Amino acid sequence: MNILRATAFILAWCLIIPAGSVKAERKFVFTAIPDQDESKLRQRFGKVALYLSKALNLNVEYVPVKSYAAAVTAFRNNQVQLAWFGGLSGVRARNLVKDSRAIAQGKKDPFFETYFIAHKSSGLEYSKKFPKSMAGMTFTFGSKGSTSGRLMPEFYIRKAFKKSPQEVFKRVGFSGNHSRTVALVQSGAFQVGATNFKVWKRGVKDGTIELNKISVIWKTPGYPDYNWTIRGDVDRSFGSGFSKKVQQALLQMDDPELLKSFPRKGFIAAKNSDYKPILDTARMLNLID
Amino acid sequence: MTAKKLSSPLARVTGIFFIVTIVCLTFADLTVTTVDPWSEFGRLASGLISPDFFSTDSLVLSLAYTLAFALLGVLLGNLIGFGFALLFSFRLIRIFCAVIRAVHELFWALIFLQLFGLSPITGILAIAIPYSGIIAKVYAEILEESDQSPLEVLSVNTSRASTFLFVRLPDAWVQFKTYSMYRLECGLRSSAVLGFIGLPTLGFHLESAFKEGHYQEVSALLIVFYILIATMRFWMKRQFLPVYLILSVVILPWDTNFSASNILRFLTEDIIPYPMRDNTASMMDWVHLLVVTQAFPGMLATLQLTMIALFATGILTMLFFPLISPLFFKMKGRGIGHVFLVIIRSTPEYILAFILLQLWGPSMLPAIVALAFHNSAIIGHLIGRYTENIALRQDSVTGINRYFYEVSPRIYRPMLALLFYRWEVILRETAILGMLGVATIGFYIDSAFSDLRFDRALVLIAITAMMNICVDAISRLIRSHLRLKTSLEYK
Amino acid sequence: MALLEVRGESAGYAENVVLSDLNFSIDPGERVALVGESGAGKSTLLRMIYDRCSDFAALVPQNLGLVQALTVFHNVYMGRLHDRSLIRNFRNLLWPRGEDASEVEDVLKMLRLEEKLFSNVGELSGGQQQRTAVGRALYNPGKLFIADEPVSSVDEHQAKQILETISREKETVVVAMHDRALAIDYCDRLIGIKGGRVTIDEPSAGMKPGELDELYRVSDE
Repeated sequence: MNILRATAFILAWCLIIPAGSVKAERKFVFTAIPDQDESKLRQRFGKVALYLSKALNLNVEYVPVKSYAAAVTAFRNNQVQLAWFGGLSGVRARNLVKDSRAIAQGKKDPFFETYFIAHKSSGLEYSKKFPKSMAGMTFTFGSKGSTSGRLMPEFYIRKAFKKSPQEVFKRVGFSGNHSRTVALVQSGAFQVGATNFKVWKRGVKDGTIELNKISVIWKTPGYPDYNWTIRGDVDRSFGSGFSKKVQQALLQMDDPELLKSFPRKGFIAAKNSDYKPILDTARMLNLID
Repeated sequence: MTAKKLSSPLARVTGIFFIVTIVCLTFADLTVTTVDPWSEFGRLASGLISPDFFSTDSLVLSLAYTLAFALLGVLLGNLIGFGFALLFSFRLIRIFCAVIRAVHELFWALIFLQLFGLSPITGILAIAIPYSGIIAKVYAEILEESDQSPLEVLSVNTSRASTFLFVRLPDAWVQFKTYSMYRLECGLRSSAVLGFIGLPTLGFHLESAFKEGHYQEVSALLIVFYILIATMRFWMKRQFLPVYLILSVVILPWDTNFSASNILRFLTEDIIPYPMRDNTASMMDWVHLLVVTQAFPGMLATLQLTMIALFATGILTMLFFPLISPLFFKMKGRGIGHVFLVIIRSTPEYILAFILLQLWGPSMLPAIVALAFHNSAIIGHLIGRYTENIALRQDSVTGINRYFYEVSPRIYRPMLALLFYRWEVILRETAILGMLGVATIGFYIDSAFSDLRFDRALVLIAITAMMNICVDAISRLIRSHLRLKTSLEYK
Repeated sequence: MALLEVRGESAGYAENVVLSDLNFSIDPGERVALVGESGAGKSTLLRMIYDRCSDFAALVPQNLGLVQALTVFHNVYMGRLHDRSLIRNFRNLLWPRGEDASEVEDVLKMLRLEEKLFSNVGELSGGQQQRTAVGRALYNPGKLFIADEPVSSVDEHQAKQILETISREKETVVVAMHDRALAIDYCDRLIGIKGGRVTIDEPSAGMKPGELDELYRVSDE
């Protein structure tokens, strides 16, 4: 018994002393909304963290989160200072954190699209006009807080039917993320779904999407979506001009290996006002007070 | 003759619950919405038999975190709960404990996430707070029931504190230890499930792997989890406890910073109803939206699902307990029954429901099946053990006749006791399953959190807690009406 | 002066009078045995005596009043909980002081139980548990020793030794016993109870067990 206790203390000291002696270094933390393929997030964004560490000459860390809301909360609580948000989550975050700014977006992000997809058994086919015949079927959104998976599709559904999705469809689900939406429609769990066009295109290229089972039936008009948003107080805590430096590092990112994580071809500058349409839509749908 | 039958209160209560269940069932949505659930099931099954232990990022670390949160959470819950148990004669303390245990640990975690972010404090408190409410109640009952006969031999001048230390505490202590082990097992399950909302435990990877359909990884994670629980009595020794606790404190990532201003803001702004913060918004609209379109339908669905799940749990229990009862099966047969029940009851109902939802789509069916299987495995296990003490006469009948004439009548009463005891637990879980997409009140709570509308989330959580407290009170009423004892639960 | 004087009183539980018209006194230094059938009211009378004298009495109830989860040491030590500070009590609960342990050990030696000092009471035999309870009452500084069947679970030889020890250590003893011969041998006064009344109250010197048969005869009523 005494020997055990002694061992416990020795063990503890061995562990505490090195842990305590590491100086708490000022580190810059970022996160990303878990919009697709959540496993391997750490691997994927770990590389981005490494890139930023080098570019900024500072300890940069990535923290994985489980939901869009968690990403916003972490940003709001200053547990992350930078985040890769969707349109809606970005608007929410900037609403909550004074002086925070959108600094970069993907090259395609000003003209983002949502694809409505359907299982073959639904009998729906591609059309230019909004396919109203989907009424009465089962439908899945992506995450509750997603722009391309929730906000925009709900906006167009309400516009077409003048009713809430719950009234239009037999059943409404929230799959959680875009790749999950594709999987659920492909397996037939839902007849129709709304997903991010980037995820769709990548799935087609990878071959994970079986085009004999599932197809695109409608595409939304373009809207602004993903963005890198940074807290306004970083210039104070990391030195003046810091947010400019971060923006530069993001815009200069050209390694395809890194860009694949997003997936984007590259980043361009962004500003808060770019996302005004998203804010207005969210207000209209009563998703933001 | 019918009059005589109906006069049995046990039969009458069963009958009432049966009718309620039937009514609930007629309005329930039980469809399997997936077109081809079996092909997904096939993929799951083939994944389960070929586990891949190397595909998860940091499997060992998330296992360690799962343990660390459980150990620290249960320890803290024990300390606070013990303190409350001593003060349990105060009405205010009893009410306070009832309220904190009426809120599920996942909801607590969602709240603490706002206060402390992903700091370990979130996970530890999410377990410790509701557990302390449960533990206080159980410990107070144990203390109350402790053997009082030594009291009379003490000199009348003995101080109250010394009397407590020497007479009431020692006997209760033995039961505290047993109960703490049981709580730790629950804590491991809770800790794993906390990963579903973002804490770095096993559930974090389990959820991702499931969503992405990486069933080999799912299999590995589940196997690791089962082994952890099944081997608990080998590694969970009292003398190792200090080592474990110190290690837990050391490995957790404490460097996540949080500030007092966040906490203050949450308490003084975020949870204040929005119309009170912004004069342009209408209070009527806010209340209407919350109550009519969310709370009310959410509560109805929650109660409906709970009643069906409760009755289904009863039926399944009657089927499960013989599997491990020596009155029906020999040693070998019972071994299989034990393994079966251990696996189902070690799987948190949240995970079970999650699996079934993936297979069948988001109707009430997966939730009912998950709740009924998990809870009946627990009660079936206790009842099966209880039958070990039933001495049948030597010439008693065997087989089905034995089941209906000799055994069922004897276990029905304790079974109902346990069933009603778990009613509240089932309700709490039902609410939580809403976070997976079933239309219970948890769905609206999850929505409120994902819209960052904490004012609404908190009102809905409070409503859930009230529902829980009501069901607990009704259950207690029924139990005392039927004179059902529940001491089986924690022994 | 008598330790206790009872004149024309009744004893029982709540409304239920078990013994009535009681008239007796107990003087310091007396050794009194209560005899009578089981159910006659011996325990009721003992309880009454204990209630009156609880300030200076040590009790061995029929159910022994042991804390099963504690060791023999702790159970015996409980005889002096009221004499010790809370801190000392707390400390002894966790880590017994050598001094207190040796005091308790001395008591146990008289009862031949010293080897079980740190055994859990729950693991002991019925006779050992009974001796533990006697040990606790001996360790209790109270000078009046009250016991309900304190030697019912030990063999005759041990019973004699234990009774001798009690007689040596305690000034005044009141015990209920069903063994008439032992009662006559070790006590100097017998109180016999039958039908809710005290029917015999006399010195035991020279008495024979047969003389007490009357107490145990089934009445014809």
